[in-house]
Amino acid sequence: MRSSFENCIRCTICVEECPAFKANPEYPGPKQAGPDAERFRLDGVETVDKWITLCTQCKRCDYACPYGVDPSKLILKAQIRYVTENGRTLPQVLFANFHYVAVLGSMFSVITNVITSSVLIKRLLRSIGLRSDIPFPRFRFRTLQRFRNQSAVHKPVAAAAKPRKVAFFHGCYLNSNAPDEGRMILAVLEHFGIRVVVPKQICCGLPALGNGDLAKARGFATENSKELAKYVDEGWDIIYSCTSCGRTLIYDYPEILGTDEGNRISENTWNLYEYLLLLRDERRIEFEFKPVKRVISYHIPCHLRGRGVPYPAGDIIRQIPGIELHIQDENCCGFSGSYGFKEKNKHTTDTLGRIAVESLTKANPQAIISDCGSCRMQISNFTDTAVVDPIQVLCEALGIRTSVAGG
Amino acid sequence: MKFDVAVIGSGMSGLMASIYLAERGVSTAVVSRGNPICSISSGCIDIAGSGPDTLKAIDSFPGEHPYHKVGKEALLESIEYFQELMSKHGLEYDGDSRKNRSILTPIGKRRVTSLVPFTMKAAETADGDAFHIISFKDIKDFFPSYLTGRFPDAQVSVFDAGTHTTVGIATKMDNDDFLVSFVNWIREQEIARDKIAIPAILGITKTREIHDRLERDTGRTFFEIPTLPPSIPGLRLYRSLRKIAEGKGVSFFSSAEISDFGKERKKILGLTIKKPGRPDYVDAEAFILATGSFVSGGLFSDRNKFSETVFDIPVHSPAGEELFNEDFFKLGHPIEKSGIRVNDRFIPEDSEFENLFAAGSILAHSETMKYGCGHGMAISTGVAAAKHAEEYIR
Repeated sequence: MRSSFENCIRCTICVEECPAFKANPEYPGPKQAGPDAERFRLDGVETVDKWITLCTQCKRCDYACPYGVDPSKLILKAQIRYVTENGRTLPQVLFANFHYVAVLGSMFSVITNVITSSVLIKRLLRSIGLRSDIPFPRFRFRTLQRFRNQSAVHKPVAAAAKPRKVAFFHGCYLNSNAPDEGRMILAVLEHFGIRVVVPKQICCGLPALGNGDLAKARGFATENSKELAKYVDEGWDIIYSCTSCGRTLIYDYPEILGTDEGNRISENTWNLYEYLLLLRDERRIEFEFKPVKRVISYHIPCHLRGRGVPYPAGDIIRQIPGIELHIQDENCCGFSGSYGFKEKNKHTTDTLGRIAVESLTKANPQAIISDCGSCRMQISNFTDTAVVDPIQVLCEALGIRTSVAGG
Repeated sequence: MKFDVAVIGSGMSGLMASIYLAERGVSTAVVSRGNPICSISSGCIDIAGSGPDTLKAIDSFPGEHPYHKVGKEALLESIEYFQELMSKHGLEYDGDSRKNRSILTPIGKRRVTSLVPFTMKAAETADGDAFHIISFKDIKDFFPSYLTGRFPDAQVSVFDAGTHTTVGIATKMDNDDFLVSFVNWIREQEIARDKIAIPAILGITKTREIHDRLERDTGRTFFEIPTLPPSIPGLRLYRSLRKIAEGKGVSFFSSAEISDFGKERKKILGLTIKKPGRPDYVDAEAFILATGSFVSGGLFSDRNKFSETVFDIPVHSPAGEELFNEDFFKLGHPIEKSGIRVNDRFIPEDSEFENLFAAGSILAHSETMKYGCGHGMAISTGVAAAKHAEEYIR
């Protein structure tokens, strides 16, 4: 993970974009935490300070920097070093291994969901530095993986001349916590005559990176890449909907794997909606939407924003007749996956959440959409407005009745 | 993706060009590598010179100056257009583009500019006009003693905001509960003056509300003093322009390092944006180069060579003059004259392309520091280039 910190001219443009900096006076911001401190770290002196863990890895600084410095990469490297020098905390171990937590959580979902909401367990979570005042995500027994080999329920209505085939990378959240939304995605792909499979997969590795465990992240990436590369080699495209998993596959796999496989995966991985727009532009599919009369605010996840392309789900949903869409991309929701579950980050997370939700609800929307499960969780902690995956709006506009919804 | 016009650069000139085009139904993309320098500027709009009259100053500019290609009338029109856009968006810019005014800087000196955001409207004080200063405990990037050194009569009250950065304080100001506690604190202070100077931290998103509420609830007049970067008035300016552009349907390609471009004879066909994974492609009928000067990365120089960083257009540089001499930090250094020379239609003279237009501080002979014309140049040449690009594609 290299970044050219010597390009930094200390202009502070990155600082203006940093959510942690604006909410938490303890965090010195990406300029100091990234390129400035890197000069000292290079000497090998133990200069990684504790505040390094206050960065949420939202990547807004990379996006803002006009000089190609990528401060978040420097900070991530320092975060990993901090954990190596100071040892892992229990929450870090827990979240680095979130994949296994999720698998077990879903397997015993009835029990898990009861115990994660029990007072005793909450007290226990608190004692190891986790927040007990926000709901833990519910685990679902019917994960996407469990039924991945079952054939499609929906018949293609607009079979393209030359059908495209895609492998869906769902990630942990859609698999274990929001499998209904996962099934809607599969249904939409099939609706457009796209052949879709759910390959065997584990966590993308981002939670491990974010909790300072590079080796574990590399392990996850290696395992995923073996499976995904097979599909790529046979001409399948990889589709993601979780914008953080997608970012990891595209941006991080080539670097953490350092293999050609990593590059091939990166080059052939697509955002679901970007892919649909591409097929539309190639005239392989057509959008025919039923009107959906609704005011919707769209919270752009930081990791989608960082892709730097016009927001593809927004471009599609805007075309649905009757929809009034308000895009909000200036605020980070503050949750950032496992970051928001940690008690020490509570103030930062809550401050940013309140700011984000205030601007999202300004237009009095009937629904708030966001691609990212973690953003949705956070937003729904601050508002009674329905917070849903964009796929739900798309399903409604396409008239796809999903037997799975609400189940 | 395909557009009518692709604007390269998301600074003042690029954003103004894109807004102008999108308003006329031209499908427009903005391709940029990061956030622009205007987001750390003071947020004030310099137009020309340091005398009272901006148009008179322009008369004395050398013949090659881009303002003469824009024309005075079009300059005034474009600035008025900017003011209209900003007013509609809720960030009014006060002033008459034909006139200059002076505002207070953080070191207590006065600086000449033309238009100011409404938060600095009251900054123009006559000499001897007294004001009170409100500052913040441990604030970085703002030092009231510079001001009291020059204005010994000014009293300073210091509020503890619980945070010490301009971005942190401005974020807190946007919170209603915090604002109420701040207003209540002000009411408890003994303030003898009617005017209050405050570092530029009056909120990032709710500035109008905050400013008006402070004035209403305390009965005083407030004016912001720009701080060292990060600069909140610059951030407001950039975010507002970008929001306006998005509202008019401009598509943004950000974090976009242009690695290559396609051409056919005298036409540029499209841009290749280097990204991890697949590159993005932006095709267009016409292109506007608004990547800025050296500091913004539109131009690059080492000791021997000047270059333009996207299309490698030959850069006009004052030949034969010693560039790295002891006068390097003096105004009017020849390096300020360097840039891209354009014809009357803002097409680069030294390039082969007929569908490329250039705008903003990348233009040769602009010497924005010397002539005090930074944002005015950006706005007026941005709109001018957009007009010619629109004419070209029609």
